[in-house]
Amino acid sequence: MTQSSSSPSSAARFHFLLRRLHSLSGLVPVGVFLCFHLFTNFQMLTGDFQHEVDFIHAMPALFYVELALWLSIGFHAALGCYYTFSGVKPNAAAYNYESNYRYVLQRVTGIIALVFIFIHVAHFRWRIEMFGVLMPFYAKGPGGEDLATATTAMSLQHIGATIFYLVGALSAVFHFANGLWTMAITWGVTITVGAQRRWGKMCLGLGVVLALFTIGALIGAWRYEITDTERAAFEALQQGAETMKGH
Amino acid sequence: MPDRTIQLKIKRQDDQSASPYWQTFSIPYRPNMNVISCLQYIAAHPTTADGTETTPVVWDCSCLEEVCGACTMVINGEVRQSCSALVDRLLEEDDSIKLEPMTKFPVVRDLFVDRSRLFEDLKKTQGWVPIDGLYSLGPGPWESPAKQDTRYDLSRCMSCGCCLEVCPQYTRNNNFVGAAVISQVRYFNTHPIGANNAAERLNAMMEPGGISDCGNAQNCVKVCPKDIPLTESIADVGRMTTIHSIKQFFRGE
Repeated sequence: MTQSSSSPSSAARFHFLLRRLHSLSGLVPVGVFLCFHLFTNFQMLTGDFQHEVDFIHAMPALFYVELALWLSIGFHAALGCYYTFSGVKPNAAAYNYESNYRYVLQRVTGIIALVFIFIHVAHFRWRIEMFGVLMPFYAKGPGGEDLATATTAMSLQHIGATIFYLVGALSAVFHFANGLWTMAITWGVTITVGAQRRWGKMCLGLGVVLALFTIGALIGAWRYEITDTERAAFEALQQGAETMKGH
Repeated sequence: MPDRTIQLKIKRQDDQSASPYWQTFSIPYRPNMNVISCLQYIAAHPTTADGTETTPVVWDCSCLEEVCGACTMVINGEVRQSCSALVDRLLEEDDSIKLEPMTKFPVVRDLFVDRSRLFEDLKKTQGWVPIDGLYSLGPGPWESPAKQDTRYDLSRCMSCGCCLEVCPQYTRNNNFVGAAVISQVRYFNTHPIGANNAAERLNAMMEPGGISDCGNAQNCVKVCPKDIPLTESIADVGRMTTIHSIKQFFRGE
């Protein structure tokens, strides 16, 4: 660094900006989206799921909203992986402090969540056939039947899918809640140990609520009884796979 | 009372590039020993437990009262100063005593490591208050006792490197400065005269390896022998750089 210079070097600006954007992108838009998404899922239990899904799909410029989300998640994930795999050395086995376990878990859950989100979006949104299953989420039946709740229930009423969903979604919840806690330190919002502890409790509270939404959605999916009409409409869709494309 | 002996397992290394090896020493027990006095005994009697003559074990020390940090090493898997590591207490933890050099710094020989990276990082962040000049600058500004208290805690840092040893983000493969240096930035930036150079220190903190490379594992504060509130320093310097960078964005060069 140069003496008497009051401006940071360009390397410093770039490095610092990337680190702070990485931190910010985890909250806005990715974390905020996670909250909305899990709240929507929770409507599987209340019975308003189809209504919520229709509401989301009626949003103007939905493609651009989704594009912004993909880019943000991609940016957050790419930088996160780079930071995690460039020269750091986790040591929770030697120094088994609670905060050190969370440090490791933050990185592990980030990677689990990334894999989960990719498979989840590719399968449900991009309609790529996976594990021999094609799940046409938000497709209407041949007669225009609403199938959002039924297709979600069909996907989750399977023990493998349930475990996959629980591990993936709860990883994302932990990563977000713990990330909010560290973010407040990174930006200098919580300075004292007391402030960090109090904010930690609030993050824990948010994490528990989001975890309950996640589990609530699962209970809703398992309790949902798929009607014969829905099953027939779904099977018709499976046969005429062409109608799912281009939506 | 029968003669009692203590087993010392020491990880040795002949020079920086040599591969490490273990040697066991058996030394007579005396009450109130510390690890340094064990090492002094080995220096005078360089014979391993199985009777082989060897070279004396090399280590670094200076003050012998836990204020210089020079004798820091990994004792029974825990990083601490060997002067204040009392043998009676160590034997409560384990039957024998295991000594290893710190892992985050290059080994000069045996338990003696080269911590000059820490010194270089303090230089990068201007870990001092510049008062040199051609004439007397007079008395400094008045400082509140509350601020003095906060800064006194920070002033106790002896650059021993315990916080760096336990930090998962501080490794031999990167250039992170670690908690000790970040805490010194807070120390000098909150000093009324040191604050004149606050911008330069924060610019240095924004460099690769600076404040934003902290991963918030918070191990540093748990092992600090001087109980320095290192995580509060990290958060405070985080706040300083947040404000500094926003100011830079809107009105900087």
